[in-house]
Amino acid sequence: MNANAPAVSRQAKTPTWLANLVDKYTWLVVTLVALFVLTFAYGMITAPNFLTWFNFKTIIRDAALVGIMAIGLTFVTLSGNFFLLSMKETAALAIIAFATAMSAGYGFEISFLFTMGVAVIAGALQGVLIGLGGNPIVVTLGAAGLFFGVASWWSENLVISFRRPHGAEWLGSGSFLGLPNITVAFILIAIVAELVLRYTTFGRQVYLIGSNRAAGKATGHENFSMAIKTCIIASSCSAFVAIAFSAQVSSAHVNYFSSSFGSSGDMTILVIATVMVAGNSIMGGFGSTLRSSLGAVFISTVDNMMVLHGFNSGPRVLAVGLMIVFSIIVFALVRRGSRVQE
Amino acid sequence: MQPLLKLSSIKRSFGAIHALKGVDFEILPGEVMGLVGENGAGKSTLVKIISGFDNGFTGEYQVNGEDVRFPYPGKAEQAGIAIAQQELSLIHTMSVAENVFLAGHNVPTFANKRTLVKMARPFLNEVGLDSIDPAIGVDRLSVGEQHLVEVARLIAHDPKVLILDEPTAALGESDSIRILDMVKRLSERGKSIIYVSHRMDEIFKITDRITVLRDGESQEARAASTLDVNSLVELMLGRELDNMFPARTMPEAGKPKEKPLIQITDLWPDGLLEPVNFDIRPGEILGLAGQLGSGSGEILGAIAGAHKTRSGTLDFGDEQFLPANPQQAIAKGIAYCSEDRKHDGLFLGRPIKENLSSPSLGSISKLGWMSRPAESALASDIAEKFTVDTSRMNDQAGVLSGGNQQKVALGKWLSIGPKVILVNEPTRGVDVGARAEIYQKLRDLAAEGTAIVVASTDIQEISNLPDRVITFYRGMQIGEIGLADMTAAAILKQITDPFNETNL
Repeated sequence: MNANAPAVSRQAKTPTWLANLVDKYTWLVVTLVALFVLTFAYGMITAPNFLTWFNFKTIIRDAALVGIMAIGLTFVTLSGNFFLLSMKETAALAIIAFATAMSAGYGFEISFLFTMGVAVIAGALQGVLIGLGGNPIVVTLGAAGLFFGVASWWSENLVISFRRPHGAEWLGSGSFLGLPNITVAFILIAIVAELVLRYTTFGRQVYLIGSNRAAGKATGHENFSMAIKTCIIASSCSAFVAIAFSAQVSSAHVNYFSSSFGSSGDMTILVIATVMVAGNSIMGGFGSTLRSSLGAVFISTVDNMMVLHGFNSGPRVLAVGLMIVFSIIVFALVRRGSRVQE
Repeated sequence: MQPLLKLSSIKRSFGAIHALKGVDFEILPGEVMGLVGENGAGKSTLVKIISGFDNGFTGEYQVNGEDVRFPYPGKAEQAGIAIAQQELSLIHTMSVAENVFLAGHNVPTFANKRTLVKMARPFLNEVGLDSIDPAIGVDRLSVGEQHLVEVARLIAHDPKVLILDEPTAALGESDSIRILDMVKRLSERGKSIIYVSHRMDEIFKITDRITVLRDGESQEARAASTLDVNSLVELMLGRELDNMFPARTMPEAGKPKEKPLIQITDLWPDGLLEPVNFDIRPGEILGLAGQLGSGSGEILGAIAGAHKTRSGTLDFGDEQFLPANPQQAIAKGIAYCSEDRKHDGLFLGRPIKENLSSPSLGSISKLGWMSRPAESALASDIAEKFTVDTSRMNDQAGVLSGGNQQKVALGKWLSIGPKVILVNEPTRGVDVGARAEIYQKLRDLAAEGTAIVVASTDIQEISNLPDRVITFYRGMQIGEIGLADMTAAAILKQITDPFNETNL
């Protein structure tokens, strides 16, 4: 009825940009973000050697591994299938598969394909169960135990190493145009993922199903195949990270992603934190892989800054935790402000 | 007589939007006051102000002649103002008695279930639930009975004013009658009732006076006896609505029946007592009439592959099949809108454009890559046909009014070029103006050769829109009524008492 009625005219006066911001996001949000920006800027300026090209490259490189996994997980989250709690166990299984194949002398290409095959099976297995209506938390918690168990059994809990020179060195320690190849891979994957989400029918289906699964089904987009596809994407990203990591250290052990990785130590938690810090909707339907990529860089920046200030791992884990809480509050407030009450 | 509630020159703005621009409202003790208006006229805002959910208004609000301003809903409740909202706030895992005393008013600190059952009895009797055992779980009641339990809970606080916000919107005919009976009984006992509804027949049946809101302004309250449906609609719209329903043409006598588009054979959806058989003809609007629980909605869902089905086939052109999921039905050109657009009709958080193109992503993409211009063209084409503002294509669907949401939920199916459109409750929660537009659009589509099947519990709608009606009663197919014999009374007889079980 009101479709053709003239829109109610906005207030005529043009307020300042600050008043505009406050009007749009409320005082609370603006103050919170301003406080954060100030702290961040202070840390950046006072940290020794922070603003250097070398340090910038370090930040991106540190963000790459977590970032790639976060991009994969973002597909699952956006499609409304919550999180995979098996990210690091999938990586553990993949790294054992890769190192076993490499040490058996199969060469990089064969080992790569073999590992990806394992990852696709692992992803499809979880995807089928979730698509059939299994609770993602329960399914992936179970899968995590399964994958980790198989990987430790297979490797007999030993470190598997393969001798240099090997065919994976280019990925582990090579570089392109002055950037480490892992960084290049991160950037490429981030671009491709964002393009897929924005411009393909698959990407649109991810958003539609994530936004309303029942309406998705009613318009011909079934979550069954979507859950399988997104889980395969996530586990393939895990496997890729595992391969890149293994190529770097020329070895593999099931615990590589469980302890002493990044600041918080636990890869799954770090990846989920990245997706959440980026402000992707936990319920699906809102967000992007670009957000997750930036989230990874952001966490890595803060972490890097704290390292330069001489903090050890405790405060750094605390900082990541605080950032999650902070971003959840801010994004929730922003979204509440922007959504008309239903 | 001094009014119990009196609100004068109430104004309320949200940012630049003026929801209420000066509303006067009053209610006398023991009076049933109808509150009507189109979607967006300000009914819900006014109701929120009265019940203390919203105190950011300007103007005077008096209870018993004293100025009040409730900081939160609990204060309004203490002042004797209770509201039953559209969405029920019952706890489904609890018993009826426990739900009645959810707030714990006057309940002893240690009360066992038997005490609660005894205490709940009089309140349940008052709302007409005499035959219900208060000890049973509330989820074993029908939706209509649950509404009555909700009201019983409010009555337990002994309110002076009871606000009922579209209590019958989701109810069938018999449940609606129980609500209306309850309203009458309560008003006889001296309670004042504010009754908000879109249903014209109800408004005239039970209200003493009617207040009309239009674009945030109130019209003077008028005695219901001085109004009729047409004059009330005129008050709501500010203009005359000549014909809510588009004209129908009688089929010529002797003209051979058109070949059916779909012949439905032994279709047995879950929830029906026996299989159903009927056909759908091109270019007609077929109505499936039945109350809530009659199974008419399930039949639509079954044809569209959205509802579980035990058996049956559709003869569609040269093919025989039964879709197992909506995807298969869509591929054959069968479109389906369920009765609950928020549940599975719309992606509320996504742009309107994406909603409109959602069923036909394949047609606007090549090798899996979508064409943005093609999508925009498709969306604005549909939007124009359904009179949805084309400048809002990038807004979230959730910000639209109920009427516009329904237009989007329905309009999205045009993108697949459907042969059949199945619509369950085409105008639930839709205001009068948008309703007429939707009826006209359905008629236009039928005229272009699309078969339209409408299931509805709204007796006015089901007797005035379709060319042919098939009636259902408690999961059984009863009969078929052609245009020549289509009266509300004839349909009502078949859907409420086909076997002469009562002497109505």
